[in-house]
Amino acid sequence: MTLISLKSIYKIYNVGGEEVRALDGVDLEIKDNEYLAIMGPSGSGKSTMMNMIGCLDTPSSGLYEFEGEMVNEMNDNQLASIRNRKIGFIFQTFNLLPKATAQHNVEIPLIYGNIRKERRVNLASEALSSVGLSDRMHHKPNELSGGQRQRVAIARALVNSPSIILADEPTGNLDSKSGHEIMDILDKLHKAGNTIILVTHEDDIAQHAHRIIRLFDGKIIEDSEL
Amino acid sequence: MFLLFIENFLISLSAIFANKTRSILTALGIIIGVLSVTMMGTLISGLDKTFEGSMSWLGKDVLYISRWEWFSDMDWWEVRNRPRIRPEYVDQVKERSQYALAVAPVMQRGASLSYSDKEIRTQIFGTNEEYMETISTNIEKGRFFTNSEDKSGMRVTVIGDGIKKAFFGDEEAIGKYIKIDNMKFRVIGILEEQAKFLGLFSTDKQAILPFGAYKRIFSKRGFMRLSVKVPEDKIEEAVDEMSFVMRHIRGLKPSQKNDFAINQTKAFEKQYNTLKIAIGGTGTFITLLSLIVGGIGVMNIMFVSVKERTREIGVRKAIGATKAMIMSQFLMEAVTICLLAGLIGLLFAYLGSFLLNKIFPSNLDLGLALFSILISMFVGVISGIIPSYRAAKLDPIDSLRYE
Repeated sequence: MTLISLKSIYKIYNVGGEEVRALDGVDLEIKDNEYLAIMGPSGSGKSTMMNMIGCLDTPSSGLYEFEGEMVNEMNDNQLASIRNRKIGFIFQTFNLLPKATAQHNVEIPLIYGNIRKERRVNLASEALSSVGLSDRMHHKPNELSGGQRQRVAIARALVNSPSIILADEPTGNLDSKSGHEIMDILDKLHKAGNTIILVTHEDDIAQHAHRIIRLFDGKIIEDSEL
Repeated sequence: MFLLFIENFLISLSAIFANKTRSILTALGIIIGVLSVTMMGTLISGLDKTFEGSMSWLGKDVLYISRWEWFSDMDWWEVRNRPRIRPEYVDQVKERSQYALAVAPVMQRGASLSYSDKEIRTQIFGTNEEYMETISTNIEKGRFFTNSEDKSGMRVTVIGDGIKKAFFGDEEAIGKYIKIDNMKFRVIGILEEQAKFLGLFSTDKQAILPFGAYKRIFSKRGFMRLSVKVPEDKIEEAVDEMSFVMRHIRGLKPSQKNDFAINQTKAFEKQYNTLKIAIGGTGTFITLLSLIVGGIGVMNIMFVSVKERTREIGVRKAIGATKAMIMSQFLMEAVTICLLAGLIGLLFAYLGSFLLNKIFPSNLDLGLALFSILISMFVGVISGIIPSYRAAKLDPIDSLRYE
């Protein structure tokens, strides 16, 4: 089943009077339960691509369909809602709230989704257990290791059962051992039926995926199944 | 939405307590503002209370006929050339006026009172037996003098509560002799204690003497006024009538101006209202100024807070916060700072009015307290609105990249 469909997507910025085509006519289909890696050198448009798929940004022109909804026609509130319900973000720098406990960090998407306290606590604990942090729920980010922080971030991405998980260089700030742990978790999530999109420039990370897309100058130059 | 409300309140508290010094300094302006709102309100309501207390002694339903107008800008030589008010007027007024319920001549001078080795300088009053009807203070103990005591020039006196306490303490005073300017007078009554208005108009330190004795001993020619009690619902008519009666007594022609004054406590009220407006105006100005300064401080700190938390805003937006949610988060923070500041200000105001109450009747009332809290929250909304709007419209992608 097609989850995401991008048709001739352009994203054009005007930098100092000069036209920059961050995405230059991209067509892409992503199916349910795919494990996709987006690769490319810096400036190739992979960040823009990720923001676009993650509904943080809208295209200058083109059609973006997410589970049958036209994202390119949405207003800010609808975008916020689709991010809240259907997309789980994992960032390179974790981006946890430093003053909140692991438990609370994971609860935040549920608060914005207006989910009642009891259910929220249960869902957050489940998500934290699924990444092996059931004994660290009441720790704050500065009391956790880098790998543990990223696992909290994964739990936060998972907690409202999104349609896709978007991971932007998820191992970029981690040592190789923690990096492996994180990738193991992502592999497991994929096996459990989740759709995962990795954005990375590291080949060995990309090897975890089953399909690799290479971007260059805002265009897809390679789309290969592994 | 209620979930978000609680969440935002908790976020605000943690943000405020995470920067304690900053929050306290920010709150200071609002604290001072709320303090001045409440203290000003307390002061004015206290003034009202004491003023009313003192006015009730003077009596709203009493006309004071004398040579000069209270609070008039008339030239003094004009007043000086007016004829005096004479004792005969008492009977003449009673005879001709239908509104006069009681007419008392009042003469007044400073005198030295003494009892054994104690001495007080104070005001003594010479009047008739109807005087008590023209003041609202009552006799605490003993009695007032009678008409025959007045006419026969008996040396008796009714003293204020303050003098009684100073001379006799808890001892019996009735029947004792005190000296007024070295003349012996027998104490026959004591006036009840009176509320004070900045020490003015109090009967507590007065000694009241029968007119006959007063005139004979102290003053044949002193200044005199008439206190005339009239029906409370007929004051305007009574003033007109009294003017007519006085003109008749004086034999004035229609072309001549009045050469006497009919004063009412209204004149004091007017004067007092001017004072109240002055205090209220100054207070309001100071209050507004400190609230504006405080509000600017809060706005400034909110801009800093938004800047510092740009990345947090980006993350929150990425995981589903709408503009309205972000806006309400920061608005809540501004309102919470101001609310806490308001409560602290109120606490100080409460302590202040408690201390002030020792010299002046002042009570912080609930309505005023609520009002000041509302005001401080209002300042929070006003000063938080621009920074919160700025936070709400931040671009999520740029904010996530913000270092």
